Amino acid sequence: MNTLNFIIGASLQPGDFTGFTFFIGSVSMLAATVFFLVQHGQVDKKFKDSMLVAALITGIAAVHYYYMRDQWAEGLGSPTELRYVDWILTVPLMVVEFALLTGVGMAKLFWLSVVMLVTGYFGESGVTGMLDAQSWGAISGIAYFIMAYEVGCLRVFSDGAPSGAVGDALANAKGKIPSAGRMLQWFVLVGWAIYPLGYMMGTDGWYSGAVAALGWNMDIVYNIGDAINKIGFGMAVWSAARD
Amino acid sequence: MILSKNYIISSKLIGLIFALCLIFFKVEDSYSSIIFVLVMLTIGIPHGSVDHIIAFINPASRRFKSKLSFFTVYLSLIILNIIIWIFSPYLGLFTFLLVSCYHFGEAQVIGFNNTKNKLLNFVLGANILLSLFLNNIFELQIILIDLTLFSSIDLSTFDKTFFLLVSVAVLMISVVHFKIEKKVPLYAEMSILYLIFYHTDILTSFSIYFGFSHSLPMLLLEYKEMKEKNFFSFYVKTLPFTTLAIIFGIILYYFNNDLLTANNLILFTFIVISSLTLPHVFIMKDFVENK
Repeated sequence: MNTLNFIIGASLQPGDFTGFTFFIGSVSMLAATVFFLVQHGQVDKKFKDSMLVAALITGIAAVHYYYMRDQWAEGLGSPTELRYVDWILTVPLMVVEFALLTGVGMAKLFWLSVVMLVTGYFGESGVTGMLDAQSWGAISGIAYFIMAYEVGCLRVFSDGAPSGAVGDALANAKGKIPSAGRMLQWFVLVGWAIYPLGYMMGTDGWYSGAVAALGWNMDIVYNIGDAINKIGFGMAVWSAARD
Repeated sequence: MILSKNYIISSKLIGLIFALCLIFFKVEDSYSSIIFVLVMLTIGIPHGSVDHIIAFINPASRRFKSKLSFFTVYLSLIILNIIIWIFSPYLGLFTFLLVSCYHFGEAQVIGFNNTKNKLLNFVLGANILLSLFLNNIFELQIILIDLTLFSSIDLSTFDKTFFLLVSVAVLMISVVHFKIEKKVPLYAEMSILYLIFYHTDILTSFSIYFGFSHSLPMLLLEYKEMKEKNFFSFYVKTLPFTTLAIIFGIILYYFNNDLLTANNLILFTFIVISSLTLPHVFIMKDFVENK
Protein backbone atom coordinates (compact mmCIF):
# COMPACT_ATOMS: atom_id res chain seq x y z
CA MET A 1 0.00 0.00 0.00
CA ASN A 2 2.87 2.32 0.80
CA THR A 3 3.98 2.16 -2.80
CA LEU A 4 0.76 3.94 -3.80
CA ASN A 5 1.28 6.79 -1.36
CA PHE A 6 2.82 8.95 -4.07
CA ILE A 7 -0.69 9.30 -5.52
CA ILE A 8 -2.46 10.09 -2.29
CA GLY A 9 -0.86 13.01 -0.48
CA ALA A 10 -2.03 12.34 3.07
CA SER A 11 -3.71 9.44 4.87
CA LEU A 12 -6.95 9.69 6.81
CA GLN A 13 -6.69 9.30 10.56
CA PRO A 14 -8.51 6.38 12.23
CA GLY A 15 -12.03 7.41 13.31
CA ASP A 16 -12.12 10.41 10.96
CA PHE A 17 -15.71 10.00 9.78
CA THR A 18 -15.80 13.33 7.93
CA GLY A 19 -12.66 12.40 6.02
CA PHE A 20 -14.18 9.04 5.24
CA THR A 21 -17.23 10.71 3.64
CA PHE A 22 -14.87 12.69 1.41
CA PHE A 23 -13.26 9.40 0.36
CA ILE A 24 -16.64 7.73 -0.20
CA GLY A 25 -17.75 10.79 -2.17
CA SER A 26 -14.71 10.52 -4.42
CA VAL A 27 -14.91 6.80 -5.16
CA SER A 28 -18.70 6.72 -5.54
CA MET A 29 -18.53 9.60 -8.04
CA LEU A 30 -15.78 7.78 -9.92
CA ALA A 31 -17.78 4.54 -9.96
CA ALA A 32 -20.86 6.44 -11.17
CA THR A 33 -18.78 8.05 -13.94
CA VAL A 34 -17.63 4.64 -15.17
CA PHE A 35 -21.20 3.34 -14.99
CA PHE A 36 -22.66 6.25 -16.97
CA LEU A 37 -19.91 6.00 -19.58
CA VAL A 38 -20.55 2.28 -20.03
CA GLN A 39 -24.29 2.92 -20.26
CA HIS A 40 -23.62 5.69 -22.80
CA GLY A 41 -22.92 2.97 -25.33
CA GLN A 42 -26.10 1.06 -24.48
CA VAL A 43 -28.79 3.74 -24.61
CA ASP A 44 -30.76 5.12 -27.54
CA LYS A 45 -29.05 7.82 -29.62
CA LYS A 46 -31.31 10.59 -28.31
CA PHE A 47 -30.16 9.95 -24.73
CA LYS A 48 -26.44 9.74 -25.44
CA ASP A 49 -25.75 13.39 -24.67
CA SER A 50 -27.70 13.09 -21.41
CA MET A 51 -25.62 10.10 -20.31
CA LEU A 52 -22.41 11.86 -21.29
CA VAL A 53 -23.38 14.91 -19.25
CA ALA A 54 -24.31 12.67 -16.29
CA ALA A 55 -20.84 11.07 -16.51
CA LEU A 56 -19.23 14.48 -16.75
CA ILE A 57 -21.04 15.76 -13.66
CA THR A 58 -19.86 12.86 -11.51
CA GLY A 59 -16.43 12.89 -13.17
CA ILE A 60 -15.83 16.54 -12.31
CA ALA A 61 -17.10 15.88 -8.78
CA ALA A 62 -14.79 12.83 -8.43
CA VAL A 63 -11.76 15.00 -9.28
CA HIS A 64 -12.78 17.62 -6.71
CA TYR A 65 -13.67 15.13 -3.99
CA TYR A 66 -10.23 13.59 -4.46
CA TYR A 67 -8.75 17.05 -3.84
CA MET A 68 -11.10 17.72 -0.92
CA ARG A 69 -10.22 14.44 0.76
CA ASP A 70 -6.56 15.33 0.43
CA GLN A 71 -7.04 18.82 1.85
CA TRP A 72 -9.06 17.45 4.75
CA ALA A 73 -6.52 14.68 5.48
CA GLU A 74 -3.70 17.21 5.54
CA GLY A 75 -5.55 19.09 8.27
CA LEU A 76 -6.20 22.18 6.14
CA GLY A 77 -9.84 22.39 7.22
CA SER A 78 -13.12 22.49 5.34
CA PRO A 79 -12.52 22.72 1.58
CA THR A 80 -15.08 25.46 0.84
CA GLU A 81 -13.21 26.82 -2.18
CA LEU A 82 -13.03 23.42 -3.85
CA ARG A 83 -16.73 22.87 -3.19
CA TYR A 84 -17.52 26.11 -4.97
CA VAL A 85 -15.31 25.17 -7.91
CA ASP A 86 -17.17 21.87 -8.15
CA TRP A 87 -20.60 23.50 -7.94
CA ILE A 88 -19.74 26.24 -10.43
CA LEU A 89 -18.84 23.60 -13.00
CA THR A 90 -21.50 20.98 -12.25
CA VAL A 91 -24.68 22.97 -11.46
CA PRO A 92 -25.04 24.30 -15.04
CA LEU A 93 -24.50 20.76 -16.31
CA MET A 94 -27.26 19.44 -14.05
CA VAL A 95 -29.55 22.19 -15.33
CA VAL A 96 -28.66 21.17 -18.87
CA GLU A 97 -30.11 17.69 -18.24
CA PHE A 98 -33.60 19.20 -18.14
CA ALA A 99 -33.04 20.93 -21.46
CA LEU A 100 -31.68 17.71 -22.97
CA LEU A 101 -34.70 15.68 -21.87
CA THR A 102 -37.27 18.26 -22.95
CA GLY A 103 -35.60 20.38 -25.61
CA VAL A 104 -36.87 23.59 -24.01
CA GLY A 105 -35.88 26.16 -21.43
CA MET A 106 -32.10 26.00 -21.67
CA ALA A 107 -31.61 29.75 -21.94
CA LYS A 108 -33.88 30.54 -19.01
CA LEU A 109 -32.38 27.84 -16.77
CA PHE A 110 -28.84 28.94 -17.64
CA TRP A 111 -29.61 32.55 -16.75
CA LEU A 112 -31.24 31.53 -13.48
CA SER A 113 -28.34 29.29 -12.49
CA VAL A 114 -25.90 32.12 -13.27
CA VAL A 115 -27.85 34.45 -10.95
CA MET A 116 -28.09 31.75 -8.27
CA LEU A 117 -24.37 30.95 -8.31
CA VAL A 118 -23.02 34.48 -8.70
CA THR A 119 -25.18 36.07 -6.00
CA GLY A 120 -24.58 33.07 -3.70
CA TYR A 121 -20.85 33.57 -4.12
CA PHE A 122 -21.12 37.33 -3.55
CA GLY A 123 -22.99 36.69 -0.31
CA GLU A 124 -20.59 34.09 1.03
CA SER A 125 -17.37 35.85 0.04
CA GLY A 126 -18.41 39.46 0.69
CA VAL A 127 -16.25 40.40 -2.28
CA THR A 128 -18.54 43.17 -3.56
CA GLY A 129 -18.67 45.18 -0.33
CA MET A 130 -22.32 45.84 -1.14
CA LEU A 131 -25.38 44.32 0.57
CA ASP A 132 -25.12 41.76 3.36
CA ALA A 133 -25.02 37.96 3.15
CA GLN A 134 -28.75 37.71 3.82
CA SER A 135 -29.69 39.98 0.90
CA TRP A 136 -27.42 38.19 -1.56
CA GLY A 137 -28.72 34.90 -0.20
CA ALA A 138 -32.29 36.06 -0.76
CA ILE A 139 -31.58 36.95 -4.41
CA SER A 140 -29.85 33.60 -4.90
CA GLY A 141 -32.80 31.85 -3.23
CA ILE A 142 -35.30 33.61 -5.47
CA ALA A 143 -33.39 32.42 -8.55
CA TYR A 144 -33.43 28.89 -7.12
CA PHE A 145 -37.18 28.98 -6.47
CA ILE A 146 -37.92 30.34 -9.95
CA MET A 147 -35.79 27.53 -11.35
CA ALA A 148 -37.64 24.98 -9.22
CA TYR A 149 -40.94 26.39 -10.50
CA GLU A 150 -39.69 26.37 -14.08
CA VAL A 151 -38.83 22.67 -13.96
CA GLY A 152 -42.19 21.87 -12.39
CA CYS A 153 -41.20 21.04 -8.81
CA LEU A 154 -44.66 21.93 -7.52
CA ARG A 155 -45.98 19.02 -9.59
CA VAL A 156 -44.48 16.56 -7.09
CA PHE A 157 -47.35 17.50 -4.78
CA SER A 158 -50.14 17.62 -7.35
CA ASP A 159 -50.28 16.97 -11.08
CA GLY A 160 -52.44 20.04 -11.56
CA ALA A 161 -50.00 22.40 -9.82
CA PRO A 162 -48.64 25.32 -11.87
CA SER A 163 -45.34 24.84 -13.64
CA GLY A 164 -42.95 26.49 -16.07
CA ALA A 165 -42.40 25.42 -19.66
CA VAL A 166 -39.80 22.79 -18.75
CA GLY A 167 -42.13 21.13 -16.23
CA ASP A 168 -44.94 21.08 -18.82
CA ALA A 169 -42.64 19.56 -21.41
CA LEU A 170 -41.51 16.90 -18.94
CA ALA A 171 -45.10 15.96 -18.11
CA ASN A 172 -46.10 15.74 -21.77
CA ALA A 173 -43.03 13.83 -22.97
CA LYS A 174 -43.19 10.26 -24.26
CA GLY A 175 -41.82 7.07 -22.74
CA LYS A 176 -40.18 7.07 -19.35
CA ILE A 177 -39.26 10.75 -19.42
CA PRO A 178 -42.23 11.91 -17.24
CA SER A 179 -41.32 9.48 -14.43
CA ALA A 180 -37.63 10.37 -14.70
CA GLY A 181 -38.66 14.02 -14.70
CA ARG A 182 -40.57 13.48 -11.48
CA MET A 183 -37.41 12.09 -9.85
CA LEU A 184 -35.39 15.05 -11.07
CA GLN A 185 -38.01 17.43 -9.67
CA TRP A 186 -37.66 15.77 -6.25
CA PHE A 187 -33.90 16.17 -6.46
CA VAL A 188 -34.20 19.87 -7.24
CA LEU A 189 -36.80 20.48 -4.53
CA VAL A 190 -35.36 18.41 -1.69
CA GLY A 191 -31.80 17.49 -2.65
CA TRP A 192 -30.80 20.95 -3.78
CA ALA A 193 -32.28 22.48 -0.63
CA ILE A 194 -29.16 21.46 1.31
CA TYR A 195 -27.17 24.12 -0.52
CA PRO A 196 -29.19 27.18 0.61
CA LEU A 197 -29.50 25.59 4.06
CA GLY A 198 -25.75 25.11 4.22
CA TYR A 199 -25.29 28.68 3.00
CA MET A 200 -27.51 30.07 5.76
CA MET A 201 -25.90 27.95 8.43
CA GLY A 202 -22.37 28.47 7.25
CA THR A 203 -22.45 32.23 6.75
CA ASP A 204 -21.31 34.31 9.71
CA GLY A 205 -23.95 36.61 11.10
CA TRP A 206 -26.79 34.47 9.88
CA TYR A 207 -27.58 31.04 11.31
CA SER A 208 -23.99 29.95 11.83
CA GLY A 209 -24.75 29.51 15.54
CA ALA A 210 -27.40 26.93 14.66
CA VAL A 211 -24.78 24.55 13.23
CA ALA A 212 -22.83 24.64 16.47
CA ALA A 213 -26.01 24.25 18.56
CA LEU A 214 -27.13 21.24 16.54
CA GLY A 215 -23.67 19.77 16.57
CA TRP A 216 -23.84 19.21 12.80
CA ASN A 217 -20.83 18.93 10.60
CA MET A 218 -21.79 20.66 7.36
CA ASP A 219 -19.06 18.81 5.45
CA ILE A 220 -20.78 15.50 6.15
CA VAL A 221 -24.16 16.97 5.12
CA TYR A 222 -22.67 18.33 1.90
CA ASN A 223 -20.72 15.16 1.10
CA ILE A 224 -23.70 12.86 1.48
CA GLY A 225 -26.07 15.34 -0.15
CA ASP A 226 -23.72 15.94 -3.08
CA ALA A 227 -23.29 12.22 -3.73
CA ILE A 228 -27.04 11.61 -3.66
CA ASN A 229 -27.82 14.64 -5.82
CA LYS A 230 -25.21 14.08 -8.49
CA ILE A 231 -25.35 10.32 -8.78
CA GLY A 232 -29.13 10.31 -8.30
CA PHE A 233 -29.54 12.92 -11.00
CA GLY A 234 -27.64 10.72 -13.44
CA MET A 235 -29.54 7.62 -12.35
CA ALA A 236 -32.85 9.38 -12.99
CA VAL A 237 -31.72 10.24 -16.50
CA TRP A 238 -30.47 6.69 -17.01
CA SER A 239 -33.83 5.30 -15.91
CA ALA A 240 -35.48 7.31 -18.70
CA ALA A 241 -32.86 6.24 -21.21
CA ARG A 242 -32.84 2.47 -20.70
CA ASP A 243 -35.26 0.27 -22.56
CA MET B 1 -11.09 5.51 -43.48
CA ILE B 2 -11.35 6.89 -39.97
CA LEU B 3 -13.88 9.70 -39.61
CA SER B 4 -12.73 13.26 -38.84
CA LYS B 5 -14.92 13.18 -35.76
CA ASN B 6 -12.95 10.23 -34.38
CA TYR B 7 -9.68 12.07 -34.94
CA ILE B 8 -10.94 15.04 -32.97
CA ILE B 9 -12.36 12.99 -30.08
CA SER B 10 -9.20 10.86 -29.83
CA SER B 11 -6.96 13.93 -29.70
CA LYS B 12 -9.05 15.55 -27.01
CA LEU B 13 -9.23 12.36 -24.96
CA ILE B 14 -5.43 12.10 -25.02
CA GLY B 15 -5.30 15.69 -23.75
CA LEU B 16 -7.84 14.98 -21.02
CA ILE B 17 -5.94 11.91 -19.79
CA PHE B 18 -2.70 13.88 -19.85
CA ALA B 19 -4.31 16.74 -17.90
CA LEU B 20 -5.86 14.41 -15.32
CA CYS B 21 -2.48 12.72 -14.83
CA LEU B 22 -0.88 16.12 -14.20
CA ILE B 23 -3.61 16.95 -11.67
CA PHE B 24 -3.66 13.60 -9.85
CA PHE B 25 0.09 13.09 -9.75
CA LYS B 26 0.51 16.69 -8.62
CA VAL B 27 3.20 17.55 -11.14
CA GLU B 28 4.97 20.66 -9.91
CA ASP B 29 4.50 23.94 -11.77
CA SER B 30 8.26 24.00 -12.31
CA TYR B 31 7.78 21.36 -15.01
CA SER B 32 5.34 23.51 -16.96
CA SER B 33 8.09 25.03 -19.14
CA ILE B 34 9.24 21.55 -20.20
CA ILE B 35 5.67 20.50 -20.95
CA PHE B 36 5.14 23.71 -22.92
CA VAL B 37 8.31 23.29 -24.99
CA LEU B 38 7.61 19.61 -25.70
CA VAL B 39 4.01 20.25 -26.75
CA MET B 40 4.96 23.23 -28.91
CA LEU B 41 7.79 21.40 -30.67
CA THR B 42 5.97 18.14 -31.30
CA ILE B 43 2.39 19.29 -31.96
CA GLY B 44 1.93 23.07 -31.76
CA ILE B 45 4.37 24.29 -34.39
CA PRO B 46 4.06 21.22 -36.69
CA HIS B 47 0.31 21.80 -37.10
CA GLY B 48 1.13 25.07 -38.85
CA SER B 49 4.14 23.73 -40.72
CA VAL B 50 2.23 22.38 -43.68
CA ASP B 51 0.39 25.64 -44.41
CA HIS B 52 2.31 25.89 -47.71
CA ILE B 53 0.77 22.57 -48.79
CA ILE B 54 -2.68 23.05 -47.23
CA ALA B 55 -3.07 26.42 -49.00
CA PHE B 56 -2.99 24.64 -52.35
CA ILE B 57 -5.05 21.55 -51.57
CA ASN B 58 -8.53 22.95 -51.97
CA PRO B 59 -8.83 24.58 -55.43
CA ALA B 60 -12.16 26.20 -54.52
CA SER B 61 -10.62 28.28 -51.78
CA ARG B 62 -7.23 28.79 -53.43
CA ARG B 63 -6.09 32.35 -52.89
CA PHE B 64 -2.54 32.19 -54.19
CA LYS B 65 -1.41 32.02 -57.79
CA SER B 66 1.99 30.58 -56.97
CA LYS B 67 4.21 29.44 -54.12
CA LEU B 68 6.11 32.72 -54.46
CA SER B 69 3.02 34.81 -53.83
CA PHE B 70 2.11 32.53 -50.92
CA PHE B 71 5.46 32.89 -49.19
CA THR B 72 5.57 36.65 -49.87
CA VAL B 73 2.22 37.20 -48.19
CA TYR B 74 2.97 34.71 -45.40
CA LEU B 75 6.35 36.22 -44.47
CA SER B 76 5.02 39.79 -44.82
CA LEU B 77 2.35 39.07 -42.24
CA ILE B 78 4.95 37.64 -39.83
CA ILE B 79 7.18 40.70 -40.25
CA LEU B 80 4.20 43.06 -39.95
CA ASN B 81 3.22 41.42 -36.66
CA ILE B 82 6.74 41.81 -35.22
CA ILE B 83 6.79 45.50 -36.25
CA ILE B 84 3.46 46.01 -34.48
CA TRP B 85 4.85 44.43 -31.29
CA ILE B 86 7.97 46.63 -31.44
CA PHE B 87 6.07 49.89 -31.84
CA SER B 88 3.04 49.13 -29.71
CA PRO B 89 2.97 46.06 -27.44
CA TYR B 90 -0.66 46.85 -26.61
CA LEU B 91 -1.65 46.82 -30.26
CA GLY B 92 0.42 43.64 -30.74
CA LEU B 93 -1.36 41.93 -27.89
CA PHE B 94 -4.73 43.20 -29.08
CA THR B 95 -4.10 41.90 -32.61
CA PHE B 96 -2.95 38.54 -31.26
CA LEU B 97 -6.02 38.21 -29.05
CA LEU B 98 -8.39 39.24 -31.82
CA VAL B 99 -6.92 36.83 -34.35
CA SER B 100 -6.52 34.01 -31.82
CA CYS B 101 -10.10 34.35 -30.60
CA TYR B 102 -11.39 33.74 -34.07
CA HIS B 103 -8.93 30.98 -34.91
CA PHE B 104 -9.31 29.04 -31.66
CA GLY B 105 -13.09 29.31 -31.80
CA GLU B 106 -13.17 28.18 -35.42
CA ALA B 107 -11.18 25.04 -34.59
CA GLN B 108 -13.17 24.44 -31.40
CA VAL B 109 -16.52 24.46 -33.17
CA ILE B 110 -15.55 21.62 -35.56
CA GLY B 111 -17.52 18.51 -34.68
CA PHE B 112 -20.24 20.51 -32.95
CA ASN B 113 -21.39 22.86 -35.69
CA ASN B 114 -20.22 24.09 -39.10
CA THR B 115 -17.70 26.92 -39.08
CA LYS B 116 -19.84 29.35 -41.09
CA ASN B 117 -21.07 31.43 -38.16
CA LYS B 118 -18.12 33.81 -37.79
CA LEU B 119 -19.52 35.48 -34.69
CA LEU B 120 -19.92 32.14 -32.95
CA ASN B 121 -16.34 31.21 -33.83
CA PHE B 122 -15.11 34.46 -32.37
CA VAL B 123 -17.24 34.25 -29.22
CA LEU B 124 -16.14 30.67 -28.48
CA GLY B 125 -12.47 31.51 -28.95
CA ALA B 126 -12.89 34.61 -26.80
CA ASN B 127 -14.45 32.46 -24.08
CA ILE B 128 -11.55 30.01 -24.16
CA LEU B 129 -8.93 32.73 -23.92
CA LEU B 130 -10.93 34.64 -21.31
CA SER B 131 -11.14 31.55 -19.14
CA LEU B 132 -7.47 30.70 -19.66
CA PHE B 133 -6.46 34.21 -18.62
CA LEU B 134 -8.99 34.69 -15.81
CA ASN B 135 -8.21 31.38 -14.15
CA ASN B 136 -4.52 32.26 -14.14
CA ILE B 137 -4.83 36.02 -13.85
CA PHE B 138 -2.31 36.48 -11.07
CA GLU B 139 0.36 34.68 -13.10
CA LEU B 140 -0.64 36.65 -16.18
CA GLN B 141 -0.02 39.91 -14.35
CA ILE B 142 3.56 38.78 -13.70
CA ILE B 143 4.10 37.68 -17.31
CA LEU B 144 2.69 40.94 -18.67
CA ILE B 145 4.54 43.08 -16.15
CA ASP B 146 5.69 45.32 -19.01
CA LEU B 147 2.06 46.22 -19.74
CA THR B 148 1.68 48.34 -16.62
CA LEU B 149 -1.91 49.29 -17.38
CA PHE B 150 -2.88 45.66 -16.76
CA SER B 151 -0.22 44.45 -14.33
CA SER B 152 -0.83 47.30 -11.89
CA ILE B 153 -4.53 46.46 -11.34
CA ASP B 154 -5.04 45.46 -7.71
CA LEU B 155 -6.83 42.10 -7.70
CA SER B 156 -5.93 41.11 -4.16
CA THR B 157 -9.55 41.25 -2.94
CA PHE B 158 -10.58 38.54 -5.43
CA ASP B 159 -9.78 34.84 -5.18
CA LYS B 160 -9.36 32.30 -7.99
CA THR B 161 -12.87 30.92 -7.55
CA PHE B 162 -14.34 34.31 -8.41
CA PHE B 163 -12.59 34.29 -11.76
CA LEU B 164 -13.74 30.74 -12.52
CA LEU B 165 -17.29 31.79 -11.70
CA VAL B 166 -17.02 34.80 -14.02
CA SER B 167 -15.67 32.72 -16.88
CA VAL B 168 -18.34 30.02 -16.51
CA ALA B 169 -21.09 32.65 -16.25
CA VAL B 170 -19.85 34.42 -19.37
CA LEU B 171 -19.71 31.11 -21.23
CA MET B 172 -23.26 30.17 -20.26
CA ILE B 173 -24.69 33.54 -21.16
CA SER B 174 -22.83 33.84 -24.46
CA VAL B 175 -23.27 30.29 -25.75
CA VAL B 176 -26.88 29.73 -24.84
CA HIS B 177 -28.33 32.16 -27.37
CA PHE B 178 -26.46 30.79 -30.39
CA LYS B 179 -27.94 28.20 -32.68
CA ILE B 180 -25.47 25.32 -32.36
CA GLU B 181 -26.11 21.82 -33.64
CA LYS B 182 -24.54 20.10 -30.60
CA LYS B 183 -24.71 22.84 -28.02
CA VAL B 184 -24.63 20.70 -24.88
CA PRO B 185 -21.61 18.55 -25.84
CA LEU B 186 -19.78 21.73 -26.82
CA TYR B 187 -20.62 23.35 -23.49
CA ALA B 188 -19.62 20.15 -21.66
CA GLU B 189 -16.25 20.03 -23.39
CA MET B 190 -15.58 23.65 -22.54
CA SER B 191 -16.44 22.92 -18.90
CA ILE B 192 -13.66 20.30 -18.89
CA LEU B 193 -11.27 22.85 -20.35
CA TYR B 194 -12.21 25.31 -17.61
CA LEU B 195 -11.59 22.66 -14.97
CA ILE B 196 -8.10 22.14 -16.39
CA PHE B 197 -7.45 25.88 -16.61
CA TYR B 198 -8.39 26.27 -12.97
CA HIS B 199 -6.25 23.45 -11.63
CA THR B 200 -3.09 23.94 -13.69
CA ASP B 201 -0.81 26.94 -14.13
CA ILE B 202 -1.02 29.19 -17.18
CA LEU B 203 1.73 27.53 -19.24
CA THR B 204 0.42 24.02 -18.61
CA SER B 205 -3.17 25.17 -19.26
CA PHE B 206 -2.14 26.71 -22.54
CA SER B 207 -0.03 23.68 -23.48
CA ILE B 208 -2.89 21.26 -22.86
CA TYR B 209 -5.47 23.38 -24.65
CA PHE B 210 -3.26 24.43 -27.53
CA GLY B 211 -1.65 21.04 -27.93
CA PHE B 212 -4.47 18.57 -27.52
CA SER B 213 -7.67 20.51 -28.05
CA HIS B 214 -6.47 22.69 -30.92
CA SER B 215 -3.25 21.60 -32.64
CA LEU B 216 -3.47 17.80 -32.53
CA PRO B 217 -7.01 17.63 -34.00
CA MET B 218 -5.94 20.05 -36.74
CA LEU B 219 -2.75 18.10 -37.36
CA LEU B 220 -4.76 14.90 -37.79
CA LEU B 221 -7.26 16.64 -40.06
CA GLU B 222 -4.38 17.88 -42.18
CA TYR B 223 -2.97 14.34 -42.35
CA LYS B 224 -6.34 13.05 -43.52
CA GLU B 225 -6.71 15.83 -46.09
CA MET B 226 -3.20 15.35 -47.48
CA LYS B 227 -3.84 11.62 -48.02
CA GLU B 228 -0.31 10.58 -47.06
CA LYS B 229 0.59 6.88 -46.90
CA ASN B 230 0.97 6.92 -43.16
CA PHE B 231 1.20 9.42 -40.35
CA PHE B 232 4.97 9.14 -40.15
CA SER B 233 5.52 10.27 -43.74
CA PHE B 234 3.08 13.12 -43.14
CA TYR B 235 4.86 14.15 -39.94
CA VAL B 236 8.22 14.19 -41.73
CA LYS B 237 6.76 16.79 -44.09
CA THR B 238 6.10 19.10 -41.14
CA LEU B 239 9.72 18.97 -39.96
CA PRO B 240 11.44 21.42 -42.36
CA PHE B 241 9.17 24.35 -41.50
CA THR B 242 9.05 23.37 -37.81
CA THR B 243 12.84 23.63 -37.80
CA LEU B 244 12.69 26.93 -39.67
CA ALA B 245 10.20 28.30 -37.14
CA ILE B 246 12.49 27.33 -34.26
CA ILE B 247 15.51 28.93 -35.97
CA PHE B 248 13.40 32.05 -36.61
CA GLY B 249 12.54 32.23 -32.90
CA ILE B 250 16.16 31.79 -31.79
CA ILE B 251 17.49 34.38 -34.25
CA LEU B 252 14.79 36.85 -33.24
CA TYR B 253 15.64 36.32 -29.59
CA TYR B 254 19.36 36.97 -30.00
CA PHE B 255 19.00 39.94 -32.30
CA ASN B 256 16.00 41.64 -30.75
CA ASN B 257 18.22 44.00 -28.68
CA ASP B 258 15.43 44.43 -26.17
CA LEU B 259 13.17 45.84 -28.88
CA LEU B 260 10.46 43.32 -28.08
CA THR B 261 11.03 42.51 -24.42
CA ALA B 262 13.86 42.41 -21.94
CA ASN B 263 14.33 39.33 -19.74
CA ASN B 264 10.79 38.03 -20.25
CA LEU B 265 11.16 34.77 -22.11
CA ILE B 266 7.51 33.78 -21.77
CA LEU B 267 6.28 37.05 -23.27
CA PHE B 268 8.88 36.73 -26.01
CA THR B 269 7.69 33.21 -26.79
CA PHE B 270 4.13 34.48 -27.06
CA ILE B 271 5.27 37.19 -29.47
CA VAL B 272 6.88 34.52 -31.66
CA ILE B 273 3.74 32.39 -31.46
CA SER B 274 1.55 35.36 -32.35
CA SER B 275 3.79 36.09 -35.35
CA LEU B 276 3.49 32.52 -36.58
CA THR B 277 -0.23 32.47 -35.84
CA LEU B 278 -1.25 35.52 -37.87
CA PRO B 279 -0.67 34.10 -41.39
CA HIS B 280 -1.66 30.57 -40.26
CA VAL B 281 -5.14 31.80 -39.31
CA PHE B 282 -5.95 32.85 -42.87
CA ILE B 283 -4.83 29.51 -44.31
CA MET B 284 -6.84 27.57 -41.73
CA LYS B 285 -9.94 29.67 -42.34
CA ASP B 286 -10.19 28.23 -45.85
CA PHE B 287 -9.09 24.76 -44.76
CA VAL B 288 -11.76 24.24 -42.12
CA GLU B 289 -14.61 25.65 -44.17
CA ASN B 290 -17.52 23.19 -44.14
CA LYS B 291 -15.78 20.87 -41.71
